[in-house]
Amino acid sequence: MTRFVRRAQETGKELAWEASRAALDSCELKLDDVDAVCLTSAPDAFDGVHMKGEYLSDGAGAFGKPFIRTYVGGGSGVFTAIHGWYTVASGMFDVALLVAEEKMSSTQPHPQGAFLTIFDNILERPLGPNLLWIFALEMNRYMTVHGLDKRDIASVAVKNKRNAADHPAALLGQPDITVDDVLNSETLAWPVQRLDVSPISDGAVAVVIASEDAARRITDKPVWIDGVGWNLDTTYWTNRDLYFPEYVQNAARMAYDMAGIREPRKEIHVAEPYDPFDYKELHHLEGLMLFDKGKAPEAARDGVLNRDGDLPSCPSGGLLGVGNPIAAAGLMKIAEVFWQLRGEAGARQVPGTPERAVAQAWGDLMQVGTVVVMGADRSSAARAGGAEASEASGHGNEMSEAGPAGRGGESLAVIETPPYATAGHSLSDADFRSAVGAVDFRLDPEYSWDAGVAISRFLDGLKAARMLGRECRMCGRVLVPPRMFCERDFRPTDAWVEVPDTGVVETFSIAHVSWDMRDLETPDIPAVIRIDRTSEGGLLHKLAGVDPERVSIGMRVRAVWKRDADRAGSILDISHFEPSEGA
Amino acid sequence: MLERISNPSEVRRWPGGMPVAHRYTPGIGGEAFFTALRDRGALLGSRCASCAYTYVPARLFCERCFAELNADTEVGPAGELVSFTIAFVDVDERRLQEPVTYGLVRLDAADAVLLHRVVEVGDEPLEIGARVEVVLEDERSGSILDIRGFRVVPDADEE
Repeated sequence: MTRFVRRAQETGKELAWEASRAALDSCELKLDDVDAVCLTSAPDAFDGVHMKGEYLSDGAGAFGKPFIRTYVGGGSGVFTAIHGWYTVASGMFDVALLVAEEKMSSTQPHPQGAFLTIFDNILERPLGPNLLWIFALEMNRYMTVHGLDKRDIASVAVKNKRNAADHPAALLGQPDITVDDVLNSETLAWPVQRLDVSPISDGAVAVVIASEDAARRITDKPVWIDGVGWNLDTTYWTNRDLYFPEYVQNAARMAYDMAGIREPRKEIHVAEPYDPFDYKELHHLEGLMLFDKGKAPEAARDGVLNRDGDLPSCPSGGLLGVGNPIAAAGLMKIAEVFWQLRGEAGARQVPGTPERAVAQAWGDLMQVGTVVVMGADRSSAARAGGAEASEASGHGNEMSEAGPAGRGGESLAVIETPPYATAGHSLSDADFRSAVGAVDFRLDPEYSWDAGVAISRFLDGLKAARMLGRECRMCGRVLVPPRMFCERDFRPTDAWVEVPDTGVVETFSIAHVSWDMRDLETPDIPAVIRIDRTSEGGLLHKLAGVDPERVSIGMRVRAVWKRDADRAGSILDISHFEPSEGA
Repeated sequence: MLERISNPSEVRRWPGGMPVAHRYTPGIGGEAFFTALRDRGALLGSRCASCAYTYVPARLFCERCFAELNADTEVGPAGELVSFTIAFVDVDERRLQEPVTYGLVRLDAADAVLLHRVVEVGDEPLEIGARVEVVLEDERSGSILDIRGFRVVPDADEE
């Protein structure tokens, strides 16, 4: 992998090449030995290159080879290991090169501009959202449902930044950081503070994956992919209860079943859950069923997640410490698990002889979970002595049980990555501004989005100061925002239903920065409002007319409509929501 | 059945954009190329000896064998016109006042071709295979536009 840097001198292609070349060198393969290339990179808008996969293909070693780019948002890096797994497991290819690249520094003024279209263009973007809103809203809901202490959550940021101090590729390793540093950092969108968040970064990671036969030829110390899982939740993020990531749980179940894991907390020895924000690591540890719901934060507080704890979590330093070049960050986790299971993680090595580990990432429109379970080589596990050995042999049996069912022939695979960081040259602000040959370009695309059948009618309703939902009589749900088909029953919804313009605050944030990270004079209070008489129906909107200190989850609110003459058929026809005592 | 909207004008539309701009830096290979172009008016390529292939502009690695490359090979300043097109409209399909000719040029000592304008096009029709040479700007800033374009090499000695 390359070093993760805030701004790389290298182009995306050059970063991809540096990582790919290092991966091949580490297992003494040549480009000719690679049968197929699996690449991932997050939205084209970051690098500002359309068809970014094809653009990066030469640096990824894809010249004249079968090649495809996959992309599932933040979940991409871990997904590319899944992509590699089925590429090899299909039997078509013996050796595949997995490459993940991200160059976020090209986007000006801030990558937030590229994130904006994550929000619904018609119902959410007019509210002026910042990507942080999503995290702040989820974090608040998670904290409130379980009554969590922010100190415990902040301890994750501390752990990861300290762990990263031992990672040669890390951007933000900080051996001396404390919980108070995190709690005293600038509040961006309450409860999210500056040091709760991973940094924007440039970087690339590459991994070699091979069939069992090829793996045995390439290395005497393979690491196996024992299970893979991935899963999507609804795209209507305001319709979910954000306190728990079901899609991660679904993906984990799939991966654990394949790996023959029945008691994840006992059988997983190292975890690399996705940690773009500190609370996210905890959220995901619960989704991975490594802790009961709401119980991961106290484990963080008690040191259970430390490198020498009972379940080391993010020994790499994670996104919070190593950095977050989005797609590359996920594959960095796969690489860390590889090093940990080979006992090659150096100063980051967890004690004992870890045999099973899990890496996980999350992304898309906040709704994908990608999970990979990896295991140390059975033959090396069998060599371990003492108490470890008995555990290892039990473990080995289980694997051989699960093996044939899970792999169907040759689908078990090995991966190799270099145990070192390479290149990734940091470019200073001044050098970035003065770089010879640099070009500035504003794409300036303009769109006209069709609201479609359901949302057009919904907007007409708003113009008349009425809130409309759609009913599915099969599942009995009343849906806001309305849609003409039920995504669960996959049939047309049945009827329009007028619902009240009142509801309950499901979660909220107090946002101090605009979409492009400039300070706001008056903070925004974005909230997800659960609309009365709907099932799971929720809308993103803002609260006003209330002291931010007085807002709470569960508070009853009502829509404040603009005057008749000012309503235009827009989500902004609702000026805001305000508290409605007992309405 | 889905409820249908029979009058398409009832479907609302929402205008918007994506507020992103980019600053592209040319990377390690590109910096070498643009620095030499600006300072010396030289065109630098990278030779991969084992693949017997010379890339232009210079680049950091060989995509064929993954070897690390240097900006070690000066190419041009003349070469062969491999293909060309004459553009009569701009990107928005507005008629250009003067048509612009674009060509792909394989510079001497290079294998890869370079896209640029063909300038000083006279009445004689261009031909694929024509000898062309680079025309540099006097004031250069480190940009592909430091090259004004390529022009057909005058037939000095009338073969």
